[in-house]
Amino acid sequence: MYQDYAYLIVGLPILAFVLTIFLGWHLPKGGGFITVLATFAGFILSFGIFKEIYPNDEIVHQSMHWFASFNAGILIDPLAIVMLLMVTFVCTMIHTYALGYMEGDPGMARYFAEAGLFTAAMLGLVFSDNLLQLFIFWELVGLCSYLLIGFWYRKPSAASAAKKAFLVTRVGDVMFLAGIILLYTNMVKLNLVLPEGAYLLQFQTIYDSLTLIPPDQLTWIAVLLFGGAVGKSGQFPLHVWLPDAMEGPTTVSAMIHAATMVTAGVYLVARMFPLFYAAPNGLMIVAYVGAFTALFAATMGLVMFDIKRVLAYSTVSQLGYMMAGLGVGAAMGAFSVGVSMFHLIGHSFFKALLFLCAGSVIHAVGTNDMREMGGVLKHMKWTGLTMLAGSLTLAGFPLTTGFFSKDEIIVTAYEHGAMGFGWLPYVFAIVAALLTAIYTFRLWFLTFDGEARSDYHKHESPWIMLGPLVILALFALFMGMPTQENFYHYVGNNFEHYGVDFDELAVIGGHHVEHAAHVHEPFIIKILPIIIGVGGIIIAALFYSRWKRFDPGMVTSEGDPLRKILLKRYYQNEIYTLWFAEKVVYGIALVSNMIDLKIIDGTVNKISAISVGFGGSLRKIQTGVIQNYLTAVVLGLAVLLILIQLASMGVAI
Amino acid sequence: MVPLVLYVLLASAMFTIGLYGLLTQRNGIKLMMCVEILLNSANINLVAFSAYLPNANGQVFALFSIALAAAEAGVGFAILIVLYRLYGTIDLDNINALRW
Repeated sequence: MYQDYAYLIVGLPILAFVLTIFLGWHLPKGGGFITVLATFAGFILSFGIFKEIYPNDEIVHQSMHWFASFNAGILIDPLAIVMLLMVTFVCTMIHTYALGYMEGDPGMARYFAEAGLFTAAMLGLVFSDNLLQLFIFWELVGLCSYLLIGFWYRKPSAASAAKKAFLVTRVGDVMFLAGIILLYTNMVKLNLVLPEGAYLLQFQTIYDSLTLIPPDQLTWIAVLLFGGAVGKSGQFPLHVWLPDAMEGPTTVSAMIHAATMVTAGVYLVARMFPLFYAAPNGLMIVAYVGAFTALFAATMGLVMFDIKRVLAYSTVSQLGYMMAGLGVGAAMGAFSVGVSMFHLIGHSFFKALLFLCAGSVIHAVGTNDMREMGGVLKHMKWTGLTMLAGSLTLAGFPLTTGFFSKDEIIVTAYEHGAMGFGWLPYVFAIVAALLTAIYTFRLWFLTFDGEARSDYHKHESPWIMLGPLVILALFALFMGMPTQENFYHYVGNNFEHYGVDFDELAVIGGHHVEHAAHVHEPFIIKILPIIIGVGGIIIAALFYSRWKRFDPGMVTSEGDPLRKILLKRYYQNEIYTLWFAEKVVYGIALVSNMIDLKIIDGTVNKISAISVGFGGSLRKIQTGVIQNYLTAVVLGLAVLLILIQLASMGVAI
Repeated sequence: MVPLVLYVLLASAMFTIGLYGLLTQRNGIKLMMCVEILLNSANINLVAFSAYLPNANGQVFALFSIALAAAEAGVGFAILIVLYRLYGTIDLDNINALRW
């Protein structure tokens, strides 16, 4: 019964967008409660649908003709429903929190309108039943992120961060679109006879025709689609926009980093998992890029002093884990979709929590710089404790959600190595796990522990902000244990609804493994993540907490080149902006400009100059003296009369 | 009765005089007069043929034509007066503001 109203999951937030953008100015709190209610209604609907389809393992599919060979449709399968539940739930929490956080901002109505649209776009992306519709919502997500990152558009850094986010993700979006076009042309070439109500770009049709498309084409499509995911999910080398996206309000960062924006890329790869699986080397690229990003971003998180920047790099790193989790599916099959999605869901809870806590601290203290904080726990007990919960689970402390989800990825990465697919993802993942624990607790200790290092305001945030924190903290701590196994199987079996035969696809992809070859990981591998997680927390405590035994200066000093590289973020800015943008792209732009001005414009100008000159000399005939015209008329008439006369006399003319 | 050919000769002579004036003169009023002569040569033809046929239609046309000529002369002279006020001359060679 709920599934008949599935369209309302997106419809209500869009309605909230329309209402708040036009009427928000006249409503208390910018009409924010409309957005909260619409998102919450979306959660109720999603939950209702989940209750209906979960017991019998059904899927919901509704579709209508749109134009030509395209359709618009709703597809709610296990993969989509978990995303819908997570997005609506986390967004409800974030919007509620924003009611308190954005209090007094003159742009409140605009904020809630854009936030509502952002939520709607992400939900629409999740339940699309075809790639084209997914792409449309994907672009809408990009637009909303641009609007929200640049929410304080009078601030130059916010405006430029918004532009950066838009342009960098655009690189990915163009690749995504190219991937769709390449897939579409390949599908058209197959001359499929489609059953009634089926369309070319529907996921079902795509899954069905994977065996028919040439494998080298599949790899190209996979690489291009992954390019889109790399841009959206902040994977190396297109991750540079994500740390800068901090310029918006903290709630926007929470939305982008947890629920809405960056998970879209992971979701895309998960959604197209059979394609990646069938494409030779497809998943290997995903695994290596993901694992490298996980480690790469974690190293930068170690040295940052801006509290939101540390969290941003941790997001990039965790997204790397999710990508790696999908990538190791070459060895694990569809099970890895469950593993990776579980980390995505868990991560969105604790990353939203961490960002909202950071927002609460910034709200009270009035600075982003951790060097000016310290000892905040004394004044903000609830914020501090909920943030501790988030940090524990991010660091992978045993029995928290993050522990289950991240460890499973690390273990699958181990099996990936043990089955002979390459050890690198495992090595990257396990080192990144250690770094994660260290930087997370460095952040927590620097902020909440020790003595106050500056004279900041001391007050706890209002309950409208703390309520969501507590709820999210409970989920971040305890969601993992009871749901883990069911989740893996429920989402891992997602593609059985479409009759995807992974064995057959593995043969095409060239990574077929006998099931007997399944490895049993040694005990040490199973407990290594625990040791690493707890060890990282202890290391951070020894350096930064009140039980300090070592000084960070002992390991590194001001002039340390390694530290400098990390603080400079591997000189990415220098490479991307100064070298790539200003030298290479600017050079290309100069040459193109020259070609445009000299050759293209030159040709057009020459042609027009010729006709203008010819016309100029021709207009001299028009003397403007009536007598001249009249003379011509009379002479012409005379000649005509003479000719007629001659003709009537029988003279051959 | 005067033979028809004399009327036609008169009309041709008037037409030629009018045309000659139109082609050679520069003075606006002289041009107007030439146009009237042209018109009247046509009127003479109309009346002459009408009387000769005999059919009254031609004479009716001639009356219309005279009325039209009067209106046309009114408009034409009004334009010439305005031109004189603007340029201080009615020599059409000097009125060339729209020429290239």
